[in-house]
Amino acid sequence: MSARARKGLRIDALVLVVLVALAAALPLGASGFTQSMALTCLMYVALATSWSLFCGSTRYLSLATSAFFGVGAYTSAFVLGSLPWAAAVGLGALLAVVLAVVMGSAVLHLRGTYFAVLTFGMTELIRHSITLAEKSLAGTVGRVLVVVPEPLTVYYTVLAIAAAAVLVSLLVRRSRLGLAMAGIGGDEQRAQTLGVDTRRVKVIGFALTAAFAGAAGAAMSVRWTYIDPTTVFNPFIGFQTVLIALVGGAATLWGPVAAAVVFSVLAETLRLQLPQVYMMALGVLLILSVLYLPNGLASLGDALRGRRRGDAPATVGAASAVAPVAPSSSSAPAAPAAGGAASSREALDG
Amino acid sequence: MSATAWFELLASGLITGGVYALVALGLNLQYGLMRILNIAHGEFLMLGAFVTWLAHTRYGISPLAMAPLAFVVMMLVGFAVHRLCFARLARISPNVDVFEARGLMVAFGLMFLVQNFASLVWGGDLRGYDYLTEPVRMGGAQFAANKLVLLAVALAASIALIVLLRRTLLGKGVRALMQSPVGALLVGIDTARLHPLMFGIGLGLSGLAGSLLSMTYAISPSIGEPYTVTALIVITLGGFGSMTGSLLAGLALGVVEALGMHFGSPSIKPLLSYGIFIAVLLWKPHGLFRS
Repeated sequence: MSARARKGLRIDALVLVVLVALAAALPLGASGFTQSMALTCLMYVALATSWSLFCGSTRYLSLATSAFFGVGAYTSAFVLGSLPWAAAVGLGALLAVVLAVVMGSAVLHLRGTYFAVLTFGMTELIRHSITLAEKSLAGTVGRVLVVVPEPLTVYYTVLAIAAAAVLVSLLVRRSRLGLAMAGIGGDEQRAQTLGVDTRRVKVIGFALTAAFAGAAGAAMSVRWTYIDPTTVFNPFIGFQTVLIALVGGAATLWGPVAAAVVFSVLAETLRLQLPQVYMMALGVLLILSVLYLPNGLASLGDALRGRRRGDAPATVGAASAVAPVAPSSSSAPAAPAAGGAASSREALDG
Repeated sequence: MSATAWFELLASGLITGGVYALVALGLNLQYGLMRILNIAHGEFLMLGAFVTWLAHTRYGISPLAMAPLAFVVMMLVGFAVHRLCFARLARISPNVDVFEARGLMVAFGLMFLVQNFASLVWGGDLRGYDYLTEPVRMGGAQFAANKLVLLAVALAASIALIVLLRRTLLGKGVRALMQSPVGALLVGIDTARLHPLMFGIGLGLSGLAGSLLSMTYAISPSIGEPYTVTALIVITLGGFGSMTGSLLAGLALGVVEALGMHFGSPSIKPLLSYGIFIAVLLWKPHGLFRS
């Protein structure tokens, strides 16, 4: 690791420690409302960071977050009466990982829209299956959670999950696994040719994402006291995670964290009074961010800095997100301008 | 089961299937031609339904007259959406994979926007009106007249689109674009004109389907989403870019659902459709009707 990379790691670690300390101190002087808002923030920090860890670097657009979240929530609802709190959360994460490995083995050979649509379809299938199973086997629609830990315990658990998600993301980014995932995002075939076991890397990355989503689901389930498939498998949890990650910048570490805080505060304040306006604003924001900030808020700083130095504006597109492996387009030595334009044109119209 | 009961069951499956086909054709036009997986497609069906309902209950315009109007209105909306979102997206995306992924996100944004706009304006209640409800006897079975109208118009519009694509110069251009975008550009096919037009026609078909649906079923702002999912299933079954495939797959899915709901239970319907969907995507990702 170069001196510069080590310095970056130190700074990131320092920021993380400061943020965790702040979040840990928050319940001391905050009202119940602020605390619940902070809890939502932390949940989305965990979800969006772990989503970006895999999906941001490999550019596989997963919509299965709500499946992992829901599996975690249902697990803790089932076992909370008989197992201690930490074990329930751990088991939730474990089952989500199992699901991710099974799902990943089945669908991770498909790219792009196929992958996105399939993960969405599977999430819905799981939701409907559980609804049907509950109806026909248990004879109920949802479950009431009787044994519920203290709100403060829940808060610190979710804080720990969020901090772990950021820490793991921070470390994985600099590891072989992280580089391999970035390589897959840049050009999967090339990564494979260079000796990356892409299949294994993808399944591991997907499972890692699922572990945090499952743990978050298991910890958050007690917040509702009554859960049913519609609440915990709500596709909206998945959408909002993707939205936060994309708006923040899925290829960056701090972008999703910042966006998670902004969105959760917006959600908690606006959603109760003006739910439709909130959702419409969300839609407009999503469209605008994809159209005008395709690399997320985090790229805003880079773009401004680049322009001030008089550099060429940062390449628009996810290609710039995969710096570790040179993207094929920029590594081609001095392609004639006209040829380059034509080839990008034909690719677009495909 | 008697022959009449079978006939009734299959026919009701075909009626639902006709709507599926119409919605799926529109989505297929967008995805097959432009790689826009418009997850908000069903929301425009819902808008078409609300426009028809509003025109009928407020101004007393016949829903049947509103059907072509809903098509035109949604087509204009489609032009605007394409102009504002997807034209720019195509310009800034470095390649088609990136365009597809970003297009999907834009479509999700549209879905939030349109669905919540409707729920803000009209509220979440179920709404409906009576139109052509008198039963019609056919071969011993009985059908509400509006359902027969629905099937007839849906089939007519679907076939008209297929004929348009097969027989006219415009259709030839569209098919050329689907086969080879570069080749189409080389022989002088104007992408900048065809893309918005086809996107608009796609949304128009969705609006038409919504208009027809409002004659027979109660409508609410959330009716669109299930149709989007169904349309996705149908175009996967029929093959991306294959219009005839979409028509056949839509009708087939309607019949399969009708049978499943009759012999199983109504709650099995989502399981059935998602199950078929996933199975087809995993085993035959290029559609059932392609070798």
